[in-house]
Amino acid sequence: MAKAKIGIYWAAACGGCDCALLEVNEQILDVVAAADILLWPCAADPKYSDLRGYKNGEIDIVLFNGAIRTQENRELAQLIRTKTKYLVAFGSCAQSGGVIGLANQSSRDEIFSTVFGDQANWPQLSSNQDGYDLHLPEFLPRLTNLAEVVEVDYVVPGCPPPKQIVSALFTALVAGDLPATGTVFASSKNLCEECSREREQLKITQILRPHAHESDPDKCLLDQGFMCMGPATRGGCLAVCPAANMPCTGCAGPTANIRDQGAAMLNTVASLIGTGEEGEDQLAAEDAILAQFDDIVGTFYRFGAATSIFKERYHERNATTR
Amino acid sequence: MDKTHATYEPRIVAFLCRWCSYAGADLAGVSRLTYPANIVPIRVNCSGRVDADMVLSALEKGADGVLIGGCHPGDCHYVTGNYKTRRRIVLIKQALSEVGIDPRRVHLEWISASEGIKFQSTMTSYTELIRELGPSPVRATKAPVHG
Ligand code: SF4
Ligand code: SF4
Ligand code: FES
Repeated sequence: MAKAKIGIYWAAACGGCDCALLEVNEQILDVVAAADILLWPCAADPKYSDLRGYKNGEIDIVLFNGAIRTQENRELAQLIRTKTKYLVAFGSCAQSGGVIGLANQSSRDEIFSTVFGDQANWPQLSSNQDGYDLHLPEFLPRLTNLAEVVEVDYVVPGCPPPKQIVSALFTALVAGDLPATGTVFASSKNLCEECSREREQLKITQILRPHAHESDPDKCLLDQGFMCMGPATRGGCLAVCPAANMPCTGCAGPTANIRDQGAAMLNTVASLIGTGEEGEDQLAAEDAILAQFDDIVGTFYRFGAATSIFKERYHERNATTR
Repeated sequence: MDKTHATYEPRIVAFLCRWCSYAGADLAGVSRLTYPANIVPIRVNCSGRVDADMVLSALEKGADGVLIGGCHPGDCHYVTGNYKTRRRIVLIKQALSEVGIDPRRVHLEWISASEGIKFQSTMTSYTELIRELGPSPVRATKAPVHG
């Protein structure tokens, strides 16, 4: 059998996803033995011109991490799509925009001011240095996930994807035995199923934050008032965050039967919040608990904002009217 | 903005509990009370059935306003469905507000089966409010970046 040809690409990424590939330790040697890596900007040195030179569909599979933030990200996603048989959205950013999707709540100018300071320091699309014309890719008005640009065949969730999931992907890849397209490499059930904390679905009487309050290590974090996204989030990571006293922030995206992960959490939390009694005389006390949230979108759409209604900032005049 | 205010007709989705608000709509009907045609009523078994995804989907798909009609406190046929929905709506409104959407685009009202007139006046005043607010900014979402 001819060696498989694979590629790994990063778009708007932090580098964590590339590191996650190496978490499988020596298994990476099996991958290298079974496949030629044609593209891996983080670790190897092929040029975009090499990529352009491949025949359409010549690469078997490309693991694509990072979101689409710049014109370069978009062009490369489109180019890679034509060159590969199977395209994998690898990690939360490629899957759903990821944590950087929250940047859509700020305009380009706000982001540039924060990052580069004075406007004089902002990057210019074109400039001339020592007689050379230099061009930078355009910063798109809105960050998106990979699937908004090109068709995606597989999803590997996680920020970054956990070792055992990467390992399962590599095993399938080395064996030349990929599952049906559309497969999400994770559990279809929620995280609570694999969490060792005991969940009783208790009433939430106050909203606690992990940096400010200590948690009971055996009891469900949500029961204690920490906003754990376990109920709406795909398992597969073996609940390592709750095991380390960190509420799940939802990086693996929604379970198979949920469309909007944040909305599902809003439902769950709204059902649980309360004083223990229901009634008209409890409404004010409930409102006092609800008012303890200060960033609903950042809490429940931390990784999914770019693929939800919260994918951009709107500018209604009376948005703060109640 | 894709529509000028002059040609703008609000599109409002109303999720109505069958035991109260939807029956209130029926009563308004048999009493020949008219209300704006901008309202698209959807019957649900309890206001508690209206989850956050339904409300947000309606807005994502282009509704200018979403109205939820439920039984008065104490009258929900499933005892606490309306209280759950009330808490949900508080959170949804806050989330909309955080991203710059006028939270009045989602509205919860208690309307009983005997309140045909309240049904009519709520639908009328809510339509007027949404008309004043103009088309939902979600409708004008930046055309797909990757067109
Ligand atoms: S998914 Fe997480 S680890 Fe991967 S590029 Fe995005 S932020 Fe980094
Ligand atoms: S701690 Fe989180 S993941 Fe674990 S059972 Fe509770 S809600 Fe589920
Ligand atoms: S039955 Fe009417 S709100 Fe629950």
